[in-house]
This record gives sequence, structure tokens and C-alpha cells, in this order.
Amino acid sequence: MDLSQYLEIFIDETKEHLQSLNEQVLILEAEPDNIDTVNEIFRSAHSLKGMAGTMGFKRMQRLTHDMENVFSEIRNGKMSVTPDLVDVVFKCLDAIEEYLTCIVETSDEGDNDNEEIINMLNACLDSNGKASEAQDSGNAEQPVKESTESSEVSVADDDKRKFLRIDIADFEKNAITEAKAKNMNVFGVTVYIDENCILKAARAFLVFKGLENIGEVIKSVPCVQDIEDEKFEFDFSMLIISEKSLDEVKKVIANVSEVKEVVIEDYEIPKDIEVVSSVQVKEEETDKKEETKKKNTQAAKSNAKPVANRSVRVDIEKLDDLMNLVSELIIAKNGLVSVSNQEDNRTSMQSFNEQIEYLERITTNLHESVMKVRMVPIESVVNRFPRMIRDLSKKLGKEMELIMTGEETELDRTVIDEIGDPLMHMLRNAADHGLEPTIERLKLGKPQVGTIRLNAYQDGNNVTIEVEDDGSGIDVEKVKASAVKKGHITEEQAEMMQEKEAIDLLFRPAFSTAEKISDVSGRGVGLDVVKNKIEGLGGDVEVSTKLGEGTKFTIRLPLTLAIIQALMVEVRNEKYAIPLNSIVTIEDVLVSDIKYVKQKEVINLRGMVIPLVRLDKILDCEPIEEEPENLVIVIVKKGDKLAGLVIDNLLGQQEIVIKPLGKYINIHKMISGATILGDGEVALIIDSNSLV
Amino acid sequence: MEENTLVNGAKQYIVVKLDNEQYGVDISYIDNIVRMQQITRVPKAQFYFPGVINLRGEIIPVMNLRLKFDLEDKEYTNTTRILIVKPESGAKIGILVDEVREVVTLEEDSMEKAVYDEQGTYLLGVGKYKDTLISILNIHGIIADLDNAW
Repeated sequence: MDLSQYLEIFIDETKEHLQSLNEQVLILEAEPDNIDTVNEIFRSAHSLKGMAGTMGFKRMQRLTHDMENVFSEIRNGKMSVTPDLVDVVFKCLDAIEEYLTCIVETSDEGDNDNEEIINMLNACLDSNGKASEAQDSGNAEQPVKESTESSEVSVADDDKRKFLRIDIADFEKNAITEAKAKNMNVFGVTVYIDENCILKAARAFLVFKGLENIGEVIKSVPCVQDIEDEKFEFDFSMLIISEKSLDEVKKVIANVSEVKEVVIEDYEIPKDIEVVSSVQVKEEETDKKEETKKKNTQAAKSNAKPVANRSVRVDIEKLDDLMNLVSELIIAKNGLVSVSNQEDNRTSMQSFNEQIEYLERITTNLHESVMKVRMVPIESVVNRFPRMIRDLSKKLGKEMELIMTGEETELDRTVIDEIGDPLMHMLRNAADHGLEPTIERLKLGKPQVGTIRLNAYQDGNNVTIEVEDDGSGIDVEKVKASAVKKGHITEEQAEMMQEKEAIDLLFRPAFSTAEKISDVSGRGVGLDVVKNKIEGLGGDVEVSTKLGEGTKFTIRLPLTLAIIQALMVEVRNEKYAIPLNSIVTIEDVLVSDIKYVKQKEVINLRGMVIPLVRLDKILDCEPIEEEPENLVIVIVKKGDKLAGLVIDNLLGQQEIVIKPLGKYINIHKMISGATILGDGEVALIIDSNSLV
Repeated sequence: MEENTLVNGAKQYIVVKLDNEQYGVDISYIDNIVRMQQITRVPKAQFYFPGVINLRGEIIPVMNLRLKFDLEDKEYTNTTRILIVKPESGAKIGILVDEVREVVTLEEDSMEKAVYDEQGTYLLGVGKYKDTLISILNIHGIIADLDNAW
């Protein structure tokens, strides 16, 4: 059994819950009285707690538990939502996220107790709780002591009332409620046995025996079996239902010799357990079972490598599609079998062809569906940004809003996983460096609230993500000056520098123009990381800026390994694929129209001078003796640059699957991969970007 | 690769031929042996890589062992085979040889380690089998120096 399989699910689900928590708390901040939201938050917090407990992440469990308590109080109308509380909850969520990151990396939660946040949560509970408790105690059944007990969720270690720490399950809870309804007394008892006692189990047995005569023990910690086996220290706790009074019960226990002390009190079901619905309790019980299972794998866990999250959540519809296709595949196969059994040759040939066509259609669809399964909407990354902007807005004291569009744009899972951090960096940059402080904005006559836009859309084979702010823009001179000061460039270089080059300085390591380093950014570790990461994914970043009006970062990412549309061309007798998204037009050009600029071949196409690239030459094809009069030229673009690829023949457009060329063989960068054609032949894919 | 260790360190090898020389490839590296098929040329690759083939939907680079060993290139014949070798998990490479002969079991005693190896790290040693000699190929050596080779 492998723990990592649980861990993956855990990580995924925790992320999901965290996300929903973040969203819901944001809503809650705007509408503090929204009870649905509170319920939602409570449920998420509770699930988080259960999950963390199952996986044995005690610290995380404790934190979520306390958070759950707070929301349980809110849900019961005993507390109201205050801005302070929201802040604490956000901090709490951040801490949980920290745990999660730690878990993802090392499969261990780390050793940060986050005591501070827990204290803050409890402080919220206390300050709000006390007032309401006072009201409570008035109409409660057991007037004495109970109010202090019930609100106390965590019992300090030195507290002798250990029975308060007994976890009670659903049925036990029912028993208690029932007993109370029948006017029976429910006591919590902790018995301390003399430390010199030799036969602890025997003493405990006598205690139980004595209690059985006067009432019913509904739960004991440790369990009865363990107590009989002497598997306990010098104390044990239990819950008793009895008709007798507290004193009588106490007397029965104290009568057993070598009992040092008896702590006994009326027992109330702790509040946090009270609100747990039965379903959730069951959940917890199964959790516990899993936990024992899990212990077996504990050893494996310690050796586990860092756990990267490799799973994909798939829309059930997509799976249904796949299932349908597979069943059709089986039908098609059966069809073929029956055709092969037919005797008449001519009709069998015809139906054979029909079946093949059918099969073809299925496999194409199947392929597409499988590919689609890997695609994830970008939403899963960007939906945590509103929360981030809210925090930044508070921290920086600037008013700002984030407008997101195109969250539904889909990208391959591997890209999605990597793109989050770079985007976050950019947004932080926009918020910190880009937008001016509110006062300044007012002075400049700009809208008081700064706007950051995050826009994603698909553009052919690429996905473009734009991060745009309406702030001050990049001051190129300032960038240059800063670069000179830091010794990145000399002054002469700075003077010669074009605006575009100067902006590229921003992507150098350890470069920042912010005058002071803030929590948010300014340490200069941002943009170069962003650039590296995006280039590592096969994409690129561009910046455009207008001083005083704003800055726009454009990230272009490949859709990756998906199916792409390509133009199949022939060079000599070899077939190549050119991605369709980079193709502008296809032109037929007379050889006599070729001009030369700096000894390089160019054509003049509708007023544009376009350099030519002879594919046969750069692909090392054998030269042909006679050049035809007409050249077929595929015009490709990269950004705003164009180039014309000279080919021999056009074969047509086709949907192709990009495959890697394998290890060991040296691949020139103009070849981005290969694909397998219908007849099984391999065709190389030309990366036109490297040729422009 | 332990599964190939028989009693007293004996290993099984696939014997292939280049011209008249016999070479042995540790059978545990072999994924498959296929007949000659269409090879798609890859421009600008190392000279001893004629290109890539499509093996059931997977694209696999193919190395011509003759060219790698500085032998003259030869027409592909009916006996030409591509050994699909899997030096590490997740990576395959095809090795083009003139002929695949047989599978032999060589004991460690019959192996001569210290041989004069003018091809550097390409050979592990020479094994004696019946009255012939079989040069044992160092698969990792053959594929490893590719980066420097170009």
C-alpha cells in the first residue's frame, strides 16, 4: 500500500478547500451576515480538519479545528463577523497553505505550530464567547459549572478533569441526550490511582464493578479492554449515566482502596461536538479506520520522495465521453469480427471498408477526448488572486481592484502547475510598483481605485495571459539609472540603449527600481524568476509600458503536447509539418521577383520586405539541379517579424500530435518535435520561431 | 539488470554482426528487435544517427552502429535489424546492425576484460564462445559520449 496515493488526494482536496475558503471568506467580508457563506466555510474547515487528522498532520488539524470552532460559534449566532476576525481567518488560511506547501515538498507538515494564530483565534472566541455564554447559562439544564466547561474546547494538560478530553461519538452523544431527557445524571469521572498501587487493573476493575451497580459506564478512556490489560498510567476517565447523585457516585469510587483521587463533575456534551452532524461524525469514524490502515505505511512515508502533485481532476462528462468511445470501439471490433465471418466476398469487402471507416472515426475521437482530459481551465490558478489583491490592498494602503477575464481558457495540466508563481509575481509587481498610492492617483486625476487586469485567451497554439495595470508605467530613465548604479551596465551603454532593451533590464537577476524594499516586492528576485520559469515552459514574456498610463506584461505559453493544426509541406521528398498558428499566408512567387539585401534573399510582398529562408538548405537536403520558375513560400510570423520559408510542395492541413524525438539524438532547435502520419511515416515539425 | 545473472555470473547476450565481427549486447537491455523499416532523416543530428523510426506510435532515434564504429556504410539488406535498446527507463534507442545471430550464455570466466579497446569506452570486454570471439558492447558507453561526439 502506498501512502502517496492518499497524499495526492489529500493535497488536491486541501487545495480545493483552501480555495473555496478563501473565496467564501472574501464574500463574508463583504456581507458579514451571509449565513450560507458561514455554513460553507464551516463545512470546508471541518473537512479540512478531518482530512488533516486522517493523514496524521496534527498541527494542521489543530489549527483547522480552532478555526472550525470560531465558525461554529458564528453559525450558532453567538459571534458576529468583524474585520479583525476576517483578518485572523485569512492568516489562518495562509498558515494552512504553508503546511500544505511543506507537505507537497516533503510529505511532512513541518514543525511550525502557529501558536500565535491559534491564540488569536481563541482570543476571538473568548471575547465574543463570554458575553453569549452568560446568556446561555441561564437557560441551560445544568446551571452550575457547565458554562465554563462547555466553552472550553481544549483542556490544558495540567487540568485534572481529563474526562473533558474524551471524544464522544454519535451514539454516545445520543445516549447522553436521552439520559438527560429521562432526568438521569451524566457524570464525567477521572479516577487517579495511587502511584504505589501494584494491581492497577484490579483497582480499576473494582471501580467499574462498583459503578455498574449504580449506573452505566458509556465510555471510558482508555477503553475497558486496555484498562483490564493494565495499559494505562495512573488515571483513567469515563462517562457514566446514573440515577444517583454526584456524591453517591463519588463515594462508590472512593471506596475502592488505593484510589488517590476522584474528579467527578456533571458532564455536558462539548459544544464543538454538538454541532457536528451525524454524517460528519461517520466520516470521522471512517477516517479513524483509515488512520490505523495508514499506520502500516508510516514507515514507507518516511522514505517517500518529495511529492509533486501529478493528478488531474476530470470532469465526469469527459470520462463519460471516453467510456462511450470505448464501448463504440468494442462494437466496431465486433463488427469487424462478424464481417470476417461473412462468406460472400464482395459484400464482405464493402462492409469491411465501412467498419474501418467507423473505427477510424472512433479512434480520432478517442484521441481527442484523452487529450482534453489533460486540459485544465486556468481558473484553478487565478482564482486565488482576488484574495491576494485584497491583502495587498490592505497592506500597501492602496485602493485597487482586480478584473479577471478568460479564466475558462484551458491549458495543459503541467503548464497550469507552473504558471501560478510567475503570475503572482507579476500581480504583486503591478500592485506594488505599478499602481500609485491613492493620494497620488487623485492628484493625477486618475480614478481613485487602481485597476489590475488579468486577461487570458487562446491564440492559435498559444495561450496568452496579460497582466495590465493603469499605474505609473515604467520610467525607462530610472531603470537605466538604477542599472548603472548597480553596475549592470555602464553609462555609455545606458545612453545607447533603446527603450525596449532598457525594459529588458528588469528581467535581470537582482534588479529592482523600488526605492525601498517592502514586504511585497522590491527585492529584485521577481522578474528574472518569472522569465526563467516561463521560458522553461517554452513561452515568452513581453512588456509594454507607457509612462504615467500603465504597464502591460504579456505572457505567451504553448498549449503543449496537445494536438495542433499544422500545414504539411514537402521539401524534396521529405515531409515536414509547420504549425498553422505561426503561418500568415502562403505565396506563389516568381524566382525573378527575389531581391537581394545584404546578399540575403528577400521578397517584397505588398510593401513589406520579407527575408527568405531556403528550407532545403537549412535542412541539408540535396540540392536540385534546376530551379523551378515559381517558388512556394510559406510566410510565418514571430511577434511582428515575418519570414518566408521556401518549400517544394504543399500537402495540406492536418491535425497532428506532437511527439518527442527521444533522447540521445541531437536535435537542432529548428525542429520542435515529430509526428506520426496516417501511413505510419514520421514527419518532423519545424519550429518556425527559430527561423524568423 | 540482475535478472540476467544466471548461475556463477553467467549472462545472456544477443549476438549481432557488423561485417564479420561479432558483438554481444546484454540481453537485459534489449526491448525488442525489429526489421529494417523506413527511417525519417533528422537534419543536423549526429552523423551516425540516420534518423528516427515509428515503433508503434513511439518515435525512437536510430543509431547506425557501423557509422558509430567508423565503418563504411552499407546498403540495408534483408538481414539488417534494429535492436531496440532501453538503457534507462523511459528512453529507448534503436541500434542498426547488419544481422542478429543468436542468444548465447557467457560465463564470467570466459570473458576477457582487459582488451585493447581502440574504440574507447565502447567495449566491455571480449567473450569466448565455442571457437569464436564476441566483443561485448558497452551500451552506456556507446550512447553516453554523444554530447561530445558532435
